[in-house]
Amino acid sequence: MSEPYRRSEIRLGDPAYPGCLLDLSDPPKVLYVAGDPANLRPGLAVIGARRATLYGLGCASRFAGWAAAAGATIISGAAIGCDQAAHRAARAVPAPTVAVLGCGADVDYPNNAVSLLAELRENCTVVSELPWGSHPARWAFVRRNRIIAALSAAVLVVEAGLPSGTFSTADHALAIGRDVLAIPGSINAPECRGPNRLIQAGATIITDATDLADALEAAGLLVDRSTPEAVNHKAHLSEIERAVRSDPMRPDDLARALTQDVVKVLRILGELELTNRVIRLRDGRYGVPQPTARRQ
Amino acid sequence: MQATVLTATLSGVEALPVEVQADVTSGLPSFIIVGLPDAAVQEARDRVRSAIKASGFDFPNARVVVNLAPAPLRKHGTGFDLPIALAILTATRQIHVNATAGASAVGELALDGSVRSVSGMLAFVIAAADADVEIIGPSAALRTAHVVDGVRSRRLDSLAQLRTGPLPEGTCVPIRQTEHPQPDLAEVAGHNAAKRALEIAAAGGHNLVMIGPPGSGKTLLARRLPGILPPLSPLERMQTALVHSVGGLDEAPTLAGVRPFRAPHHTCSIAGLAGGGSPPRPGEMSLAHNGVLFLDELPEFGPAALQTLRQPLEDGFLTLVRAEGRVRYPADFTLIGAMNPCPCGYLGDPERHCSCSPWAINRYDARVGGPLMDRMDLVIRMDRIDPDLLIAASPSEPSAPVRQRVLETRAFAAERGDLASKLSGTALLAACALDGQTSRLFTEIARTKHFSGRAVTRVLRVARTIADIERSRRVMTSHISEAVSYRDRSGE
Repeated sequence: MSEPYRRSEIRLGDPAYPGCLLDLSDPPKVLYVAGDPANLRPGLAVIGARRATLYGLGCASRFAGWAAAAGATIISGAAIGCDQAAHRAARAVPAPTVAVLGCGADVDYPNNAVSLLAELRENCTVVSELPWGSHPARWAFVRRNRIIAALSAAVLVVEAGLPSGTFSTADHALAIGRDVLAIPGSINAPECRGPNRLIQAGATIITDATDLADALEAAGLLVDRSTPEAVNHKAHLSEIERAVRSDPMRPDDLARALTQDVVKVLRILGELELTNRVIRLRDGRYGVPQPTARRQ
Repeated sequence: MQATVLTATLSGVEALPVEVQADVTSGLPSFIIVGLPDAAVQEARDRVRSAIKASGFDFPNARVVVNLAPAPLRKHGTGFDLPIALAILTATRQIHVNATAGASAVGELALDGSVRSVSGMLAFVIAAADADVEIIGPSAALRTAHVVDGVRSRRLDSLAQLRTGPLPEGTCVPIRQTEHPQPDLAEVAGHNAAKRALEIAAAGGHNLVMIGPPGSGKTLLARRLPGILPPLSPLERMQTALVHSVGGLDEAPTLAGVRPFRAPHHTCSIAGLAGGGSPPRPGEMSLAHNGVLFLDELPEFGPAALQTLRQPLEDGFLTLVRAEGRVRYPADFTLIGAMNPCPCGYLGDPERHCSCSPWAINRYDARVGGPLMDRMDLVIRMDRIDPDLLIAASPSEPSAPVRQRVLETRAFAAERGDLASKLSGTALLAACALDGQTSRLFTEIARTKHFSGRAVTRVLRVARTIADIERSRRVMTSHISEAVSYRDRSGE
């Protein structure tokens, strides 16, 4: 059977074994690698909750995209939400990115990541400490978080509720002396409580590419500071776009806030949605897509 | 001595003529019913015997054979009691043959000889009118008989009446045209976007799904749809009343023009929804004929039961095929579904946090199934409204002006052609009459947004109705942009 990707097994003690993993008290005995093992070098881990808001997805995509363009390998877990947004942003550069799985590196999980994982195995790297063909198990995902932490020079927490599995990665990172970076979020959004709490506890706050560049250099990664950020500042936002920019809103609330007829608001929203200037969320609210998220 | 009395038996919503032949001959006393009677008809023997005796007649001390012709047709129900008793009384010369000549008799007998109503009386009345015979039955069942053109009816409330002279003519009891009060839209505060969708659904006959957390007012709004629909036309009244009569419901409100609103509980079985059983009875879909079928907690209905909705939603009727034959029930209804956004119900709720995983939400959605969702033109999101707004809300528009707009829109649509919800394919495109620029724009959008063929149809149908509301012959870009906001949430 010929596969479009390369499989390799790296044992503890092999010269190819990534040295950064040795910081762990229980480094994986064997790394099962699908794709190019050369990508297993310290990079930036971008992690966040599966249930992410537009803001979280946008930030994951924006900062992962910038860091990837600036020369950092993006490490994440291929999970729904922020993880996938980070991987995709890195691939859009295109730049190397590593997915660490809680199942066999040749197993497609989660279901919606099939094409992403296939792409990563072919052009980048998918890695796991579990043998080929291992089924996903809950405990394995908690264990793999320590590999994500150890493979990275710094861990960027984009968005996470409380409690969240994202915290286990941050805990592992702190335990082995990796820097934890966090993006502040709205105090109203339960999805943002995690990073806000981390910042309160001393995590490095990231608000733009300069912050991230400083943090990555402090963590010992070489990045190209002059990389332009892919944020296009829209010259003109309509009244409705401005209203939903920071917090998504429902048509009824929008109509009330703008004291306009709901039918008129629905029509403008429909028009904006058709031209991708706003998007409709699953819960019926409308929001503004983050600029870099649009590459997806 | 022999005698024949006419009656009928139900098949679907039709009554098929049946002859009851009684033969009373000397021999060992016995009472036999032949001609494919079901259990209820067999039980008629005991009721008929007691009723005849209780009414002061003699039950023949002889061999009594009753044949129900045509013999191959299976006979159901208790409506045969009366014609069997009449046939025996005629055969034994206890009543004159003229008492039942040229008449079809339907009724159930009590042991004391009184005559009781049976369901489906309207069908029997129609069959009698078609056969140009009189109908004999209890006065309670005949009070709506006069709605059928050219029917003559005679009332028989007790077998004993036959001993006192000719039966009284059925008098015309006019159906009271009292307004059956409908819940009013004015009682619902806020929800302007949802009300707009409801008006579009009423104007275009579109099916609608409301998605929202518990207590967001989905049921409240759905119950107000019949109040903004146009009143039933005379033909629709007869169709719907017939189904209700056969289904054992009171047909009087329907005959007064009230649109049916059926809201079966989600434990409803397939037979309960689609019809069935032995003998087959109309299900909720048929009872909602020309009205509204409201399915609250849509994903909680059995998947098999939900899928039975698909064919009637396309065809407007459904055919049950059973071992004993096939029956066809009308089922042309507007489907209103209500569901929670996720299993816990609070996805997107501003106050309560949703505890469902993305997988659980996808699974929940999948329970309704794509093919059924494909038939729902309007999908709207509803949310609980702030109590402050509830109290401070300016008075809402009552149902009457909304209904007036719906009537005017339907009149405009009728002039243009079919209701938008009935259009598809080239007829829909022709009805939309998109101009070159709108058409190009829409094609472009449909491609970039990956609209399926079904999605394009739904958006255009809804856009057509919105254009009807505005009396526009052409569907404009603004109509399409509004229609897009009522799309379902798949692919996000």
